[in-house]
Amino acid sequence: MRLNNLLIYFLISFLIGCSDNKIYKQENYIFGTIIGIKIYGESRINAEKVSNKIFDEFQRLHELLHPWEKSIITDINNAISKSKSISIDNNEIISILRNAKYFETQTQSLFNPSIGKLVDLWGFHSNDLNRDKIPNQNKIQKLILSKLSMQSIKIKDKILTSNNKNVQIDLGGYAKGYALDQAKKILVKNNVKNALINIGGNILALGRNGEKAWRVGIQNPRKPNVIATINLEPGWSIGTSGDYQRYIIIDDKRYSHLINPNTGFPENRTQSATILIPPSKNSSIKSDVFSKPLFIAKIKNKINIAKSLNINYFLIIMNDNSIFISKSMNDKIKWEENIDKKNITIF
Amino acid sequence: MIKKILQFSKLIKSGDWFVIILFCILIIISAKTLWNLPQGKYLEIYKNNEMLAIYSLNQQISKTINGVKGKTEIIINNGRVRFSSSPCSKKYCIHQGWISKANQTIICIPNKISISIVGTKKAYDSINY
Repeated sequence: MRLNNLLIYFLISFLIGCSDNKIYKQENYIFGTIIGIKIYGESRINAEKVSNKIFDEFQRLHELLHPWEKSIITDINNAISKSKSISIDNNEIISILRNAKYFETQTQSLFNPSIGKLVDLWGFHSNDLNRDKIPNQNKIQKLILSKLSMQSIKIKDKILTSNNKNVQIDLGGYAKGYALDQAKKILVKNNVKNALINIGGNILALGRNGEKAWRVGIQNPRKPNVIATINLEPGWSIGTSGDYQRYIIIDDKRYSHLINPNTGFPENRTQSATILIPPSKNSSIKSDVFSKPLFIAKIKNKINIAKSLNINYFLIIMNDNSIFISKSMNDKIKWEENIDKKNITIF
Repeated sequence: MIKKILQFSKLIKSGDWFVIILFCILIIISAKTLWNLPQGKYLEIYKNNEMLAIYSLNQQISKTINGVKGKTEIIINNGRVRFSSSPCSKKYCIHQGWISKANQTIICIPNKISISIVGTKKAYDSINY
């Protein structure tokens, strides 16, 4: 072999070795958060085409389900607040609302998408979180006493009515998971076998990252690094409810966007609740919805609720840095920080 | 020994020298850029989803990037970074303010520019938060 052939060979293999061209990556800003799509092993053109389809779908859902900018949801909420019925000619919305109602029952009402008014009172129906006072307690009490629930909503022959005019639907804890499940459909339909989709921290893995499983870092709620990493096997979803992304500080106290529907106050004993859901129908919705009851429930109840919802993989970090983790999760997780074993309780 | 080297050098033609020099320059450039990366965090700048540049966060500079709509300026200020001017209409990117933690990202969709802070150690594909 001539010397320059040899050199060219080295140069080419060097350049190939450097590039990471099997993964196509795109990011966008929808649902008020960052969305990342990674696709492995497809041509760039195909990967880009499919990513754009997914982003278009997310944008459609964002406009369809927006809790405070004009959408079908705000139209419904307006009608409810005036004690009027409203006709909904959209089967997707009807099925989403029925599903949300079902999840409310299943989670003992700790996931409660009818508390839009409470979320708004705390100033979370806004892109800029700048509330500096605790809302009027009488207002909160009045809402709690009126027993906000999706059960007050009846849909018959595409006509929606509610007998509680304080109910305001907010699908904030549901929409991202729903969007992930929709993304999965788009990927499957377009024959993309390996992808990782991240909507503001809720992640769905499809297939693998080449030879390896997709690997996901779990954010430390109080430090700018990951506390642990975990392999997301094909079809699995991971979701976290945390007090560190959307929150306000009033008098040096943190109030997160995760409001306890029973008290009307943000839950303040938990820093984060992370769950892993194996592949199944609606699995990403579950990864979004079911992290809420684990975050909000009282300490003693958290584990019982995980059991009743069949959540085998959970990691809960409390305000005193104590960690509750299920055995299956503990077997799967790799800690990236030195965690004091005394702080960990395995269930 | 000298004879051997002379014989060998005759084997190398001008085209070969070109490739050898190119290769050496490549090695020097990559060594300079990669070895100078700071421990800790650095900034990745993307245009149209393609990485444009990597900068250390431990410096005080401003950079201008040509996006699809015009010039975006970002400021790096000892460990943190922000958008300081942008041709987009809503200026969401500028309102995001400073970011300083690994995995934080700001995207300007109209101008198709995004910046992300990356730690040097990245043992995962995505982050759950």
